[in-house]
Amino acid sequence: MRPAGDGEPRPASAPGGAGMGLSCLGVSFCYEEGGTQLPALRDVNFELPAGGSLALLGASGAGKTTLLQVLRGLDRPDSGAVLLDGVEPDGAAYAGLQREVGLVFQAAEMQLFAATAREDVAFGPRRLGWPEADVATAVDAALDLAGLPAGDFGERHPYSLSGGEQRRLALAGVLAMRPRLLLLDEPFVSLDPGTRRDLVAVLEHLKASEITLLLATHDVDLAWSLCDQRLLLTDGCVEAAGDWDFAGAGGSLLAANRLREPFLVELWRRLGRDPGSAPRTSDEAAKALA
Amino acid sequence: MKATIAQYYPGSSALHRLDPRAKFVAVTALAVTLFVRDSFIGLAVFAGAGALAYGLSRVPVRWFWRAFRPLLWLVGLTFLAQLIFAPGKPFFSIGFIHLSWRGMELAAFLSLRLVVLVLIGSVLTLTTPPIALTDGLAWLGRPLRRLRVPTDELALMVTIALRFIPTLLVEMDTIMRAQRARGADFRSGGLVARARALVPVLVPLFVLSFRRADDLALAMEARCYRPGVVRTRLHPLRAGWRDAVLLVATAGVIVLALLV
Repeated sequence: MRPAGDGEPRPASAPGGAGMGLSCLGVSFCYEEGGTQLPALRDVNFELPAGGSLALLGASGAGKTTLLQVLRGLDRPDSGAVLLDGVEPDGAAYAGLQREVGLVFQAAEMQLFAATAREDVAFGPRRLGWPEADVATAVDAALDLAGLPAGDFGERHPYSLSGGEQRRLALAGVLAMRPRLLLLDEPFVSLDPGTRRDLVAVLEHLKASEITLLLATHDVDLAWSLCDQRLLLTDGCVEAAGDWDFAGAGGSLLAANRLREPFLVELWRRLGRDPGSAPRTSDEAAKALA
Repeated sequence: MKATIAQYYPGSSALHRLDPRAKFVAVTALAVTLFVRDSFIGLAVFAGAGALAYGLSRVPVRWFWRAFRPLLWLVGLTFLAQLIFAPGKPFFSIGFIHLSWRGMELAAFLSLRLVVLVLIGSVLTLTTPPIALTDGLAWLGRPLRRLRVPTDELALMVTIALRFIPTLLVEMDTIMRAQRARGADFRSGGLVARARALVPVLVPLFVLSFRRADDLALAMEARCYRPGVVRTRLHPLRAGWRDAVLLVATAGVIVLALLV
């Protein structure tokens, strides 16, 4: 395969090294269908600092998937710009930075094609033009990180794996490229609770390793436990951005977008406590209530 | 997304409401006689009939142009081939190229005939949904069932295939994006490199399609589909006086074209 990348990979110490900062400045995007313009994103602005985590919320059709595609550079915004580590799209370093943005598609298992798990995960790193030894290290590390130990799963055929394992294998395929910013599109859809818990553990690990996370989801409970910030999209417009806020209209805003408040926030509200100080996890809640 | 097969323009014109069987018979009859009659006057009659039908269909010219454009090179090629290789006394020769008045006449005639054929054929596909067309064809093919040709099953296969073309295109786009996000490059390199770059797209696309075919077959069985059994229809084909008018008018056009 012809190397497409920029040569040497970063050291394999952490999956992503330091996280990447993301700024979305006035991004608008239209789909064209039969000569008519269908606006999908309208003047989207937000900031996600390096190492931060952001939940992208919104009803179906609000523009979440489109935004992720634009952030990864698969679609070019009609106006506005996506800055990576503060670098403008026309900068010379931009293409390199863009390769450090990983995007896990919805139902990501549809991207699996190789004859073994290891080969499939190696696809991305090889396209980056890394030396074969680095590819092997990155692949094994990514498989381990995704909870599919290379020794047990490396030589398995991707289609012989269960649905949840396939999803994690696809995630490994993205992690092997050592992204510093990871975009995930509805990663929890149609997973059983066990697989979901495993995937949450992977994401918590990534968050601890300071990789920047952006997670599009309908699952407000998971979003609340995993993400420091949230961005709420309605019909392609930003309805709320920045830190979570349940005071005043914050909670009803979620309901108005076919979502609801996180369970623990609602519990805190019902208990007469300040919903703004609601715990993120059931562990925290148990401690606070004990 | 561009639909390249059987473009249908949704509408409610008189032509849209005609029975697909009548339209198919009329178009076939016109196409056959179009090739039997070789004179410019006959051609003009067919062209007039085609233009009239086109006007009645109220399909925007843009749509006709879209159906016609892919065939433009064929028309051009026909014209050139006839122009260069046709018989007749040349008035101009260079190498193997001999231009003659007879050749020019033939070239003009044959390429115009192709244009008229496309005009008449596209009126059919533009005003008839593909599914109605396959239904009509299945009905017309019924006599073949005596020879154990499974016409209804074939029609259903075509209908299902047409139904899933847009789905497949969307899926292919998604898979290509996912692989591009993993560094795949579909745009550069030579022919071999580009063909190889498609492997990560085609493998998942096939797997998804086979899985969907399995699911669809199961779902159809669960809804009591059995091949070889006569099925009733939600919208049975019903021919009326309009269809009789179409067939009579078609016969009139054919007679006129053959007589003038």
